Amino acid sequence: MLEIKHTTIRTLSILGQRGAFGYALNELAKENEQIIALTSDLRTTSGLDRFNNAYPERVINVGIAEQNMIGIASGLSTLGFVPFATTFANFASLRACEQMRHHMGYMRENIKIVGFGGGFAMGMFGITHYGIEDVSSIRSIPNIAILSPADSLETVKATIAAAQHKGPVYLRLTGVMNQPMVYKEDYDYEIGKAVQLRDGTDIAIFATGGMVHQSLQAAEQLDKTGISCKVVNVHTIIPIDKQAIMNSLGVKLLVTVEEHSRIGGLGSTVAEVLTELDEKPPQLLIGVSNEYKPAGSYEYMLEQYGLNFMSITEKIIKRYGEVK
Amino acid sequence: MTNLEKYTNVFVETFEVDASEATGLAYQSILAWDSVGHMSLIAAIEDAFDIMMDTDDIIDLSSFEKGKELLAKYDVEF
Repeated sequence: MLEIKHTTIRTLSILGQRGAFGYALNELAKENEQIIALTSDLRTTSGLDRFNNAYPERVINVGIAEQNMIGIASGLSTLGFVPFATTFANFASLRACEQMRHHMGYMRENIKIVGFGGGFAMGMFGITHYGIEDVSSIRSIPNIAILSPADSLETVKATIAAAQHKGPVYLRLTGVMNQPMVYKEDYDYEIGKAVQLRDGTDIAIFATGGMVHQSLQAAEQLDKTGISCKVVNVHTIIPIDKQAIMNSLGVKLLVTVEEHSRIGGLGSTVAEVLTELDEKPPQLLIGVSNEYKPAGSYEYMLEQYGLNFMSITEKIIKRYGEVK
Repeated sequence: MTNLEKYTNVFVETFEVDASEATGLAYQSILAWDSVGHMSLIAAIEDAFDIMMDTDDIIDLSSFEKGKELLAKYDVEF
């Protein structure tokens, strides 16, 4: 459907995950007339301008009415449409949580929610627009797949996979424009199948979203100190790839890294798998501490919460020294 | 091929316009130069001159002429 060239990957990287989503949806819509976009007053922010220009009759802006948007998406799905509904991650998961529970969890309607601004991507918009509790809220609702792409190319892959997936999906987008490229060439993507990006024997890092690139950089730093570190891209949080975890039980320390609360996100999901095992490595959960710190730019927020690669490296070295 | 020819060719291929039309283009002056088209243009310029542009410059590149001015920062001379 979409030819992935070097320049395409760079274009997507500059666009960031939101722009990449809009790009992918526009491509999908050319082949599937059932694709329809809904947004709660965030058409441009959702990267949907080109889609809107090409298919104005297939875009519904419901206004600032996220709960109503889920209900409309549910109705459209019963008519055979494949609705992609976009809003900020926290508005979807907190404001419209009950509608997601009923229409997506309970009724299993074929709705795709796109939650952008996951983590601290909304920067100066402040705490009200940060998506740091969205995964923990949605993860407790049955039947909703949670996708969390590592970069812009993977966002395109995840959008296409979400459209093909029969059932409700929450697509969590992180990062800002000019997002670093984790993937510099095309690759195979499958919902529920984590991707090992780097091999290692001492430590295994399971990372998701924008933290995958930070974790790869941290692994390079660890390598310089003689610590061998595997990095796994967990692009699907639900259903979690249990086999990928099983394949990493031989390490001395298992680390999870996420731009989300340490409570209820990827770290908790991995811990729930590990707790059922008799023999397992200790786990270090790196994520957003359970407090609201002063708001600021994206980079500033990552630094404050210790989520840039240098802070991640320091945390891992400290914990590794205690357990090795 | 001169740098000017390479630069013009990027606009021609990205936006499917004639070379004579390319030189007068500005952001959103044609349908193809929308936000997505802009990022495609940047990627094509980077590819043509083997450079990586800063985010501020990506945003500042608002016209054919402005792009020539910005590329001087990356040692691309016209």
